[in-house]
Amino acid sequence: MRLPLYYNWRSLLRQKLNSLLTFVVVAIVVFVLSVLLSFAAGIRASLAATGSPRNLLVLKPGATAESTSLILPEESARLVQCPNLARDPQGRPLISQELCVQTSIPRRAPDTSSANVAIRGIDDVALVVHSEVRIVEGRMFQPGALEIIAGRSARDRYADLQVGGDILLGRSGNRRFRVVGVFEAAGGGLENEIWVPRTILEDVYGRRFVSSAVLRLEQPDRADEAIEYIKGSAVRLDARREPDYYSDLSTRVREIVLLASILVGVMAFGAVFAVANTMYAAVDGRRREIAMLRTIGFGRFAIVLAFMVESFLMCTLACGAGLVAGLFVNRPRQDFLSDITWTALAYEPKFTVGTLLSALGLSLIVGMVGGAAPAIKAARTGIIEALRKA
Amino acid sequence: MRRACADSQGNRVHLRLTYVYRNLTRNPRRTALTCAAVGLPITIFVLSTAVIDGIGGFLNNSAKQLRLVVTNHSSVVNPLPWGYRSKIESLDRTGTRISSVCGMRWIGGQVENDPRPLSTLAVDVDTFVPTFPDQQLTPEEIQQWNRNRQAILIGSATAAAFGWKSGDRINIRSSIPPYVLLEFHVISTAARPGKDPVTNFCRLDYLEESMKSAISPEGWNPTGWVSFFFVRCATKADLDYFRGAIDEFFTRSPDQTKTQDEKAFMNEFITQFFDMPRNLSRLAAVTIIVAVIAATNTMSMNLRDRLSEVAILKSMGYHAPVIFGFIQVESLVLCLLGGVIGAAIPFICFGYTPLKDVRVPLIQHLEIPLAACVKAQFMAIVIGVLAAAWPAWSASRTRVVLALRKLE
Repeated sequence: MRLPLYYNWRSLLRQKLNSLLTFVVVAIVVFVLSVLLSFAAGIRASLAATGSPRNLLVLKPGATAESTSLILPEESARLVQCPNLARDPQGRPLISQELCVQTSIPRRAPDTSSANVAIRGIDDVALVVHSEVRIVEGRMFQPGALEIIAGRSARDRYADLQVGGDILLGRSGNRRFRVVGVFEAAGGGLENEIWVPRTILEDVYGRRFVSSAVLRLEQPDRADEAIEYIKGSAVRLDARREPDYYSDLSTRVREIVLLASILVGVMAFGAVFAVANTMYAAVDGRRREIAMLRTIGFGRFAIVLAFMVESFLMCTLACGAGLVAGLFVNRPRQDFLSDITWTALAYEPKFTVGTLLSALGLSLIVGMVGGAAPAIKAARTGIIEALRKA
Repeated sequence: MRRACADSQGNRVHLRLTYVYRNLTRNPRRTALTCAAVGLPITIFVLSTAVIDGIGGFLNNSAKQLRLVVTNHSSVVNPLPWGYRSKIESLDRTGTRISSVCGMRWIGGQVENDPRPLSTLAVDVDTFVPTFPDQQLTPEEIQQWNRNRQAILIGSATAAAFGWKSGDRINIRSSIPPYVLLEFHVISTAARPGKDPVTNFCRLDYLEESMKSAISPEGWNPTGWVSFFFVRCATKADLDYFRGAIDEFFTRSPDQTKTQDEKAFMNEFITQFFDMPRNLSRLAAVTIIVAVIAATNTMSMNLRDRLSEVAILKSMGYHAPVIFGFIQVESLVLCLLGGVIGAAIPFICFGYTPLKDVRVPLIQHLEIPLAACVKAQFMAIVIGVLAAAWPAWSASRTRVVLALRKLE
């Protein structure tokens, strides 16, 4: 025989203040967890969405990022012989030679500090190779003109990158470029960048080389063959799948999320004690009632179940409140500095199913661990003794 | 008469303390759970404070050194010509206001077949020691630094991670073009207070020589560039003066400069790594709120259980302030107990167990200063006072007759 859920609900309301305070403790822990996980999910989603498995990123051996890679024209010319290389309908190889530099741009108000933003010099072929990229506002820049297109994240996060805005670029920072378009890249890291005609970028920064080359493959499952060729004596460059390169950039993020998760874990442990305290108080205050329930036929299991349900109910409701509160904070776009590329990576906190399940799981664990011992104590209440005390 | 009066007062205090002690031990399980519920947030508070203080200490040390950092105006990643050094030095016509100028080039670096990135800077050999006295090199280390062009100073945390020690010969491939493989002789791996435990320093002249021997691409000379200059000034007034003077001097040059205090320069990097100091402060504040709520919960439960007792005390002649004091003292003792345990856990774990070798982002080595533990005790007192405020106020206002009637 089971006690009705209504009984559990009424029992929680009987000690309003204690239930409320414990509810708030669990809700705060869930809130912190959900904010943390939303940030981690946002960063992961941004980096995971970057790069196509059909693309290979070619860097100079020894370079840890595009920003420190230097490929000479004669080296990139050797890439056209790469096996499994895709070609456009005119038969031209789909190789995008790209030059990466950085510039300091102030963030949008209220945080007007500057961030190091990546500038990528590209040719027309880049839009074919990076097939996820599409212009969503304005138009593509004219080759040879002092025009740029900005990624959607960059436009939202940094000042003067809306269509019609002007920014200064170049070695001396004195060449004025006009923003003529905004692009999306399926929410990936490329949306943090500013794209410029490559020849113009080479000119204003005095560079006569490219940083990287992105190759479109005919068959992605034969990527190893192409990588082997590029690393071999014919080319002597370093190649990896594009998604692998961007995944490596999240190493520091993983460290920070781990650290924060440990702190949230300690907080959750504290919440367990708060729940246990409240549930013990509930058991102590209802000894007579428990004895009476046992007398009228409710078994020990029904009593354990009743207190566990009470604990779960309180923690689940607190979980809901914590998640709702988490939804309302830190929604604006953020960025962090990658210590590999030395550029800012903007991201948008994402509330995912994983966040929901993690928060629910945490609150249920807190409810179970905090409620178990008091529930067992309640089931062991001596009937005669409790009724005699009454 | 006076002695009798003093005895009576002493007895009264003893009686009251005994009452508080009995109350705390009356429900040991509740006391233990509350201590844990307060202690764990205090643990987080201590850890957060230690990280924030670690970063703050590093920044304050930077501020004390009276150093300016000169970078490329367009971006810190873009280099500056090494020749700027003599131009910066020439700005001090007296030769007394700028103590030294040290050029630095970031080369990152990696050990062959090891994906872990290194943070290595190639520096001007002649001005490194006077510009960075906080490196605290010994006379012997300075001698080796000046004599051996392959000398490298390894950060203590990096040395521990890669298993390097003084006297070792190591190979590092630089992460900047032309990615030369450099052979170094480790001359120091010592951990010293205020010294960056991660960054390695090697000689710029050795790097330049190695680069020249490598093939350089047409149109790009890899030598003759630095990432930034550190300018050590004689006084605070000189620091303020040259902050503006250096940028003004290079206004019309192809590579304009951006000069700022070392503290501001470092802070710019730190805040870009998830603004850790601010976010940890927020987390610490949230944990204190959690602790206050948990302790308030216990104190209100205690009050509910002892409402009749409070009524009896009042009917015996104990005044409201005394009742208020009983509950406040009980809460303070409870929270202080939790605070001591909560602070002792990280202090012992990160000071005397294998956890002391755990690397923490940004500060690498987490040291729990005694000051953070003392601060935590202060917070425990605040938690105790806040947690008992409402229950104590309610108890002091309890109406004797109504409470006794409830007892019936």
